[in-house]
Amino acid sequence: MTDLAHEGDVTAEDHHDEHESLGMDARKLGMWVFLSSEFLFFGALMTNYLLYSNRPGLADPYPGTIYDIPFTSVSSFVLLMSSLTMVLAHAALERDDQHQTRTWLFATAALGSIFLGGQVFEFYEFITHDGMTLTTSPVASAFYVLTGFHGLHVAIGILMLLSLWGIGHSQGALSDKRGFNVELVGLYWHFVDIIWIVIFTVVYLLSTS
Amino acid sequence: MSDGAHHTPSTSQYWKIALGLAVITALEVSLYYIDNALELGVLNAAMLIGLSLLKFVVVVGWFMHLRFEKPSLSRFFTGGFILAISLYAVVLGFMAAAVLRS
Repeated sequence: MTDLAHEGDVTAEDHHDEHESLGMDARKLGMWVFLSSEFLFFGALMTNYLLYSNRPGLADPYPGTIYDIPFTSVSSFVLLMSSLTMVLAHAALERDDQHQTRTWLFATAALGSIFLGGQVFEFYEFITHDGMTLTTSPVASAFYVLTGFHGLHVAIGILMLLSLWGIGHSQGALSDKRGFNVELVGLYWHFVDIIWIVIFTVVYLLSTS
Repeated sequence: MSDGAHHTPSTSQYWKIALGLAVITALEVSLYYIDNALELGVLNAAMLIGLSLLKFVVVVGWFMHLRFEKPSLSRFFTGGFILAISLYAVVLGFMAAAVLRS
């Protein structure tokens, strides 16, 4: 029995070492590399938007003239606060407080959903009320592609958060392996937040000022 | 769980950081309205980019724990970030110049 337990420990340790042969957990390093590639992806979309913004001769309406800054400011604040709830979920898991972990994970997903709902409402208003569609002008296309892809990333993040919340709820507790996933999903979620920090300033505040 | 978990901020510190981020966001929005009234121009752009960069650094450093990770990871991300920004700045500059010439 003791031998078997010892054998089990060695296997778990080997498994742990296997993930840390690079000096840090390979899954975490993988997530950072993935997020760096995502940063390049959004950088290209943002450059595309900047290239077409303030360019004369494009069809109306120009996105900068129809942005609802107070509304987007509230959306940005909601997404920013979801980063707080995400990090609180991670901190609760480190204290092994499973109930609080699930609560904060759900709160993060809820705040993300509010942000996403706001974006859908904004797109609906732009299309139906202001007449700015995907094909109105290159700058309108650039705007929808950039913010649309960001929204898609938020939606994927919400699905991951709800999956973790569901697993934690159904199994009573998140295991070490699942707990590590909270950290990885957290990295992804914060990344989505920092991309919006840049979009909010560059696309919304600077385009309209 | 985290590689650098022993150094990460406490729950109350996370709340304080979030409060700071909220204040910076409020400042950004205020600057937008101040610029509409006073037309600060380049100064407004510089301040907005500066505040945005500050928020970016705080979220990456404290919420994503990059500040508490191994220095090699920080160098990897910071170096990549600077390279990426430089690349896009150069591309944007060249393309903007081409547009102005045409």
